[in-house]
Amino acid sequence: MKARQAIEILAANRNDAVVVCALGMAANEWWAATQSEDSFYMHGAMGFAASFSLGLALALPNTAVWTLNADGSLCMNLGCLLTEAAQAPANLRHFVIDNGVYQTVGGLPMVNPRRTDYAGLARAAGIRSVFAVKTNTELERELHGMLAEPGPSFMSIEVQPESGFLGTPPMNYEGPEMKYRFGRALERKLGIKVFGPQGY
Amino acid sequence: MPDVAERIHAELMKAGVRLAATLPDDWVAPLIRKLASDPAIRHVPVAREAEAVAICSGAFFGGVRSVAVMGNTGLLTCTGELATLNLRHQIPVFCIVSQRGSLDDHRVYQEVQGRRTLPLLAAYDFPYHVLDKADELACIPDAYETCRLQKRPFILFLTRRLVKT
Repeated sequence: MKARQAIEILAANRNDAVVVCALGMAANEWWAATQSEDSFYMHGAMGFAASFSLGLALALPNTAVWTLNADGSLCMNLGCLLTEAAQAPANLRHFVIDNGVYQTVGGLPMVNPRRTDYAGLARAAGIRSVFAVKTNTELERELHGMLAEPGPSFMSIEVQPESGFLGTPPMNYEGPEMKYRFGRALERKLGIKVFGPQGY
Repeated sequence: MPDVAERIHAELMKAGVRLAATLPDDWVAPLIRKLASDPAIRHVPVAREAEAVAICSGAFFGGVRSVAVMGNTGLLTCTGELATLNLRHQIPVFCIVSQRGSLDDHRVYQEVQGRRTLPLLAAYDFPYHVLDKADELACIPDAYETCRLQKRPFILFLTRRLVKT
């Protein structure tokens, strides 16, 4: 299974979830697959999409929140697993695309590729609902089971790396515009107030 | 007479704060205990300070006002995230931080923090305010509003004179 296939399966099963994507491949591919403005695409703070997502999930306990992470990003902030386990928001689901490489920079190998058990790390951190898949069929089957149960839950999705650069077209907005598009999308979708009466 | 931690807690409540992501040093530990004891505030202890920054940033988009509480050394560890997440996307994050390495802080491992933190904040263009006296605590809601309005990290420093005497 390739990352794009995994992300397309996730996108097809997203329903109303708000999604926070890690910088790099996860953000690029989720944008390519969904073009969704009610997703936040990290353009910095590598490793901290999971923490951003946790804050969002705690603020919106009645909204499904997904973290779309990657192995490189997770390893920059493994402590996020402890914090997720401690807070245990039932609306949070954490997916890690494990391709074993830093895909966005051309596929250089990750630290300890294919030998680290990310699902095992999540379980050891205290997340009780943990899944690990390697094929399309496993992903489709386990995803339905995962979404049927309350979170927090974690899924490691092993995919085959691409050789070289993916060449996915970039998003056509960024920076402050992403803040306002995402915030306004959540205001419309959820009926909440993100910004004040003067727009900030 | 309420103590300083109680009064900061009360001012944060006035500012509408309902989530606190924290990692202590010994100066901010009493404030963290106070915030953690309030069922109206979601307390999120973290393993590294940049987690607190990102958690507060996510909470912003959920319409929840938040505060990141940490020590000065912790602030230095997360300047990259404050720059590439909060400056990059103009996301406000209100940080309460001990101002270590001051004239009256005689811990040798805080001396670099004392000399280089404010120049670093100036380089990043992060606004800050130093809270040095208990009769200035009522400025906290205004500081919070300034953070929102300036759309970037805002550091509220607590001095040794304020929190340790």
